[in-house]
Amino acid sequence: MNERVTHERVTNRKHRERSTRMSARPASNGPWMTRRRMLGVAGGVAAAVPLAACGSGAPEAESGGGGGTFLAYWNNAHEFDAYKDVVAQFEEDHGVTVELQKFQWEDLRTKLVSDFQSGNVPDVVEEPGNWVQEFALSGDALSLQKYIDEDGAKIGFPDDWLRPAVADNTHDGQVYGIQMHYTCTLLFYNRGMLADAGIEPPTTWEDFLAAARELNSGDVSGTVLNDGLSYSYPWMLQNGVHEYDAGSGKLLQPRAAAMEAMRFQRDLVHEHQVSPKPTTALDVTRAAKFFAAERTAMILTGPWDIPIIKQSNPDLDYGIAQALTGRRQATIAGGTTLFIPAKAGRPDLSWDFIKRITALKTETAATEQSSMLMPRKSWAKEASVLENPDVKPFTEGLPYAEEFRTDVYTTGKAGELEDIYKTLYESMLIEGAGAEEAFAAYDDAAANILKG
Amino acid sequence: MATPAKLTSPTELSKPAKRGRRTKRSPIARRQARTAYLFLTPAIIFFGVFFYYPIADILNTSMLTGQRTDEFAGVDNYTSAFEDPQARNAFKVTLQFAAGTTLGAIVLGMGLAVLINQRLRGSLAFKLALLVPYLTSIAVVGLMWRNILDPELGILNRILSDLGLPTQEWLNTHPVATIVAVTLWMTTGHTMILFLAGLQGIPDVYYEAAKVDGANRWQQFRRITVPLLTPTTLFVSVMAVITGLQAFGQAYIITRGGPGEASDLFVFHVYELAFRARDFGYASALSVLLLLVIVAFTLLQLRIGRKREVQY
Repeated sequence: MNERVTHERVTNRKHRERSTRMSARPASNGPWMTRRRMLGVAGGVAAAVPLAACGSGAPEAESGGGGGTFLAYWNNAHEFDAYKDVVAQFEEDHGVTVELQKFQWEDLRTKLVSDFQSGNVPDVVEEPGNWVQEFALSGDALSLQKYIDEDGAKIGFPDDWLRPAVADNTHDGQVYGIQMHYTCTLLFYNRGMLADAGIEPPTTWEDFLAAARELNSGDVSGTVLNDGLSYSYPWMLQNGVHEYDAGSGKLLQPRAAAMEAMRFQRDLVHEHQVSPKPTTALDVTRAAKFFAAERTAMILTGPWDIPIIKQSNPDLDYGIAQALTGRRQATIAGGTTLFIPAKAGRPDLSWDFIKRITALKTETAATEQSSMLMPRKSWAKEASVLENPDVKPFTEGLPYAEEFRTDVYTTGKAGELEDIYKTLYESMLIEGAGAEEAFAAYDDAAANILKG
Repeated sequence: MATPAKLTSPTELSKPAKRGRRTKRSPIARRQARTAYLFLTPAIIFFGVFFYYPIADILNTSMLTGQRTDEFAGVDNYTSAFEDPQARNAFKVTLQFAAGTTLGAIVLGMGLAVLINQRLRGSLAFKLALLVPYLTSIAVVGLMWRNILDPELGILNRILSDLGLPTQEWLNTHPVATIVAVTLWMTTGHTMILFLAGLQGIPDVYYEAAKVDGANRWQQFRRITVPLLTPTTLFVSVMAVITGLQAFGQAYIITRGGPGEASDLFVFHVYELAFRARDFGYASALSVLLLLVIVAFTLLQLRIGRKREVQY
């Protein structure tokens, strides 16, 4: 492999030298720049500008490695040392330079959708969940089934992955993405505050409300509902509600349970006043900041907030309890997936990258560094995982975690439906709107979207 | 050697060219025109590639639909826009925002300019202090104000609370007024400079004559300053309406268009449609409609403004 790379580099250098010699050829006799030549140059520039614009930022289109840049879109909080080691080895093995372009999710989506429109796509993409099926439906994601058929048994896919982590990346019977992180939200509580009040970590909604009221005093709020509509999903799931029922084509069913779940959250803020109002900010670390500052006793969040809590208050004595029970015990399954855009120039290379990043050894190393959770069943049995007090509770929560937005992508309107759910959530939790009124507005907007 | 160009008298230059008659150009004039076009070529290419081509492309895309924007929709996207309550809401919110920022820019910009036009100590520092926010990116300004105004973690409520005053949650209760205020905080320095330039162009003789006639300061301001600032006011209002209708960062950074859809600015709505819903066809149609609205507003303002222009 290295010999081939060296040979290609030498060949490329010779080619460049030849090109340079050609361009350095002296001009023919005559004036340095006639008007005609100047017009020719201007015309050339005119043609080159749009071409350059079209080509800018385009990843190399070679196949099978052999130099160039391998472009990966990555979440800005996920550049762990364990991945850096994998990237270094990958670069050495394939003679490429890996460029991890890091974004917040919203910016990543904007960039990626623009790339799909222009046709200049990266080699591999990390996505935050739900996008793979949407992009599979629109033809923008590459089916990995060919690779799974070849390599699946070797890497333990799908048997070693938790079932929802496979199902959520499958469209029309074909796998389009490999789950990289697999997370859920649980109850984080301040041990000291609960012990002082003589309260056990709550397990049901009623217990949670009672504990929050008891712990709510002065500058300390009983709980802080996190910003961001996805933090409302566990409440819905605990009442048996999913966003979309593909069988009936109806949204937020059973409706009475959906209204009850949203009303319960609203009342925590507006009636019982045990949580400050959520905000519309992009910063979803607000609840973790409250928790780290000991300004709240309980929050519902995932392992991604652990580094923030530990950095802000290394001495904080906190515990992690299982998800609450409404009509049933449930929590939201989240996490990130790696997929290859359909127009990626080197899919074989991209697949090799995905295999390395999702290897058990890499997953375990990433967990040790970041407390991040992983989708492999064998990962949950690793000694280093079971001995980690921040991670072990999640290994118990992941088996009952589930997806809230299942099948929404089949409508082709996942983004618009998420927008109107956001409006519903904010109108009730921030503005304190009544459930009847807010759900009626949601239904009107949904009817308008789905008819289009 | 080329023959010298025929000299033209100033009176001939000021004569309007007769319509329908094409005068034959001399060879040197044609050569000069070619040279001029040659030098204009980079600008033409730049505007063609980065301005007119995208507009043409958006017009084309507005007739398409589907996630891959490959199905012909005719004018369906345009007709949908008029029936879409979310688009109507976004337009209404944007009009409120543009009206607030435009009126605010004129009142505050003119007021501060009049204030600073006096010979005061430290007026340069005052001008610079007011201009700095304008030089700062909306991303920085937006995040700063977002953090200041946060109901729970913001510094403003901490100060109000320490002073025993009631706390605010304007981002939740008055989101449009809040982003109007932040925008004015950011842009007032610039409009003040524009009005200041206008004020300094008004000859003192008018004020002296008014004083002789016994006009007080308010009468001088109303009868001399305001009318003679009409061209500046027109320019400021046209620019403020255009930037107000095109505003995006305020919703994107500060309010995310919420709560609910309370501050869903039109361009932010278009962005959400394009990049979250991936409906580029509909988003393009809304963009074209916004362009038409901006052109209509601009023409209307110019028409009204020119009628009100006065000269003493």
